[in-house]
Amino acid sequence: MEPATSLETRVKSAGLAAGARVVGIAAVEAFRAAVPEGYRPEDILPGARSVIVAGGDGPTAGAWRCPDHRVMEITGYDLRENVAVHVMCDFIERELGHYAIQAPSLSVHGHEPPMSMMHAAELAGLGSRSLAAHIILNPEYGLLYYAALITTLPLEPDPPLAEPACPHPGCAAMYKRIGTTPCLRVCPACLTGSVKDNRIERSTYDRERCHSRAQTYGIGSFQKSLLQIVNEDDPERRHTMIHGDFFTKSLEAVGFFRDSIAQCFECMRVCPVGRKHRKLQ
Amino acid sequence: MGVFQLDPEVYRRYKDEVLALCNSFQKIHQPGLSDKQIAERLGLDERTVTEIRCVAERDCYPLDEWQRAIDFKRKAALEWAALTLKRPDLKPE
Amino acid sequence: MTLPADAAATLKRAALKGGAVVCGVADAAAFDALAPAGHRPADLLPGARAVVVVGGAAPREGDWAATSPWVLSTMGTTERIQSVGRRMAQWIESEWGYYALFVPPGTSSGDQPFLSLMLAAELAGVGSRSLAGPVLNREHGFMYWSAVITTAPLTADGPEAEPACPAPPCREMWEREGTTPCLRVCPLSDNGCLEGRITNGRAERTGYDAARCRTRVHTHWIPGFQKVLETTLDEPDKDKRKMLLYGDFMTRTLWAMTYSSTNIAQCFECMRVCPAAHGLKEMR
Repeated sequence: MEPATSLETRVKSAGLAAGARVVGIAAVEAFRAAVPEGYRPEDILPGARSVIVAGGDGPTAGAWRCPDHRVMEITGYDLRENVAVHVMCDFIERELGHYAIQAPSLSVHGHEPPMSMMHAAELAGLGSRSLAAHIILNPEYGLLYYAALITTLPLEPDPPLAEPACPHPGCAAMYKRIGTTPCLRVCPACLTGSVKDNRIERSTYDRERCHSRAQTYGIGSFQKSLLQIVNEDDPERRHTMIHGDFFTKSLEAVGFFRDSIAQCFECMRVCPVGRKHRKLQ
Repeated sequence: MGVFQLDPEVYRRYKDEVLALCNSFQKIHQPGLSDKQIAERLGLDERTVTEIRCVAERDCYPLDEWQRAIDFKRKAALEWAALTLKRPDLKPE
Repeated sequence: MTLPADAAATLKRAALKGGAVVCGVADAAAFDALAPAGHRPADLLPGARAVVVVGGAAPREGDWAATSPWVLSTMGTTERIQSVGRRMAQWIESEWGYYALFVPPGTSSGDQPFLSLMLAAELAGVGSRSLAGPVLNREHGFMYWSAVITTAPLTADGPEAEPACPAPPCREMWEREGTTPCLRVCPLSDNGCLEGRITNGRAERTGYDAARCRTRVHTHWIPGFQKVLETTLDEPDKDKRKMLLYGDFMTRTLWAMTYSSTNIAQCFECMRVCPAAHGLKEMR
């Protein structure tokens, strides 16, 4: 007789079959320590017991090799982790009779989503914060994109990582040798940090500067250009601003968002975590 | 009456503090404050803090920074490609 | 090529397998009496004989139960059912060799759709119009629709005989209080959108402020963007212009426009309180 498959395994299997690279579970109580009121899973779904997080692949290995940075700017991603979340939500509601919602992650007030997918991924044991923009690195795959669901279904949570993914041993050795790491060296404009005893000792991240890189063409650039345009009194200069490359690309990014969600990968390009999966023929 | 419009004077007075307290400039494992928490600290209402934060996030850097971003990415991607693909011809000037 | 005898049944099985919750077929000619010229099936696909309608991607029970307003208003989307519609159009053409046109879900100009998906759902017998407006399926309640116009001579299903609205609790409430949940939550008489009554067990809408409803369903969307832009251009003070363009409303509006495929509908209050909108399944 086959052993009964646990609920946790059944739910995760549904997510993995739908295209998630990794799936993890966190208990809602775990969010209370670091998340302010109003942004916790239980604030969003009454009676919430579990948060299930799906991580999906980023750019393909081939995309990382392209010398033209514009390719990855508009490679986009297939949002597969969101598909996995929908599949798991449907499974939980239809088969298990518990409430399940996709956790709202779209920014709703400036750069602020109703719930942090990064923190959910940490708590679900899928990764840990890194020196590189505090991106959650999965120890096996490195950069993944995360989506989550909130459910009233009680599940056994996965523990957070015992060993953080960052710093990679190579980076810790590099820091010891020359006082920096690949990510800190490539992007000192956004990042500062230090490593001590193979752990992140200190790390800062200038999110607003990073925004000009990670979303060079998008909502922000559109707003800034538009302000310049409306404040420009000279109609000829206004004309060149409206029809110029920068504003045009900004409009394209707004219109074709799916192709231009993330537009800077330089700290991740040099990161050794997960790089073995990018070495192909 | 239109949508909520922030008084530019209020914005100028509080924008640096709001930016410093929120998640704009992050320190690892030290999350920034929510708009409600910032409002309590500064003696403002939450709606005003949200508005200040939204404007300040966008206003933080001038559009020049976007051009620097374009130059940075072009150069960094080419340098990496030159190194890893063993193509010194790709190295940017 | 002629259609097999059980073509409609085969089509519906394929649609359900593809992710639709319901599938029905409307007679293309039935639109002529009810849809304005230019927005009938044959205007889009000459020789149209049938309109296949799929419904699904409804908010989940958890979505209705969520207390955060951002859940439904950032997750309301027709995208997941549109992909089913697209696939059915391709399926009809490759399986049977008849023309099939996936009805674009956007507008042809202004706020006019190419074809009314709500009318299509009614004529295909998969739903009926509610007092609040949305078309409700008797079993599954509120859902999103997609349609495919085809020259395939499919047997039409015809409209439902009994509408989902008014639901029994609403009839009782009307008898008792002279209102219903949807009329109470959004009354035209008090800056809302809806006015109506129940007469002889039938719901009758007597008033609907479409323009106001649009400010709620599409709070952060193209009309709001246009209004802020106009206000900005009319504002002589450059600092105040910055407050408008960088402010919360404009930023949120741009996010909604950018991520429109996942953020189409932004008000669900009439459906949240509707007993017929949520389907029949009990949740824990």
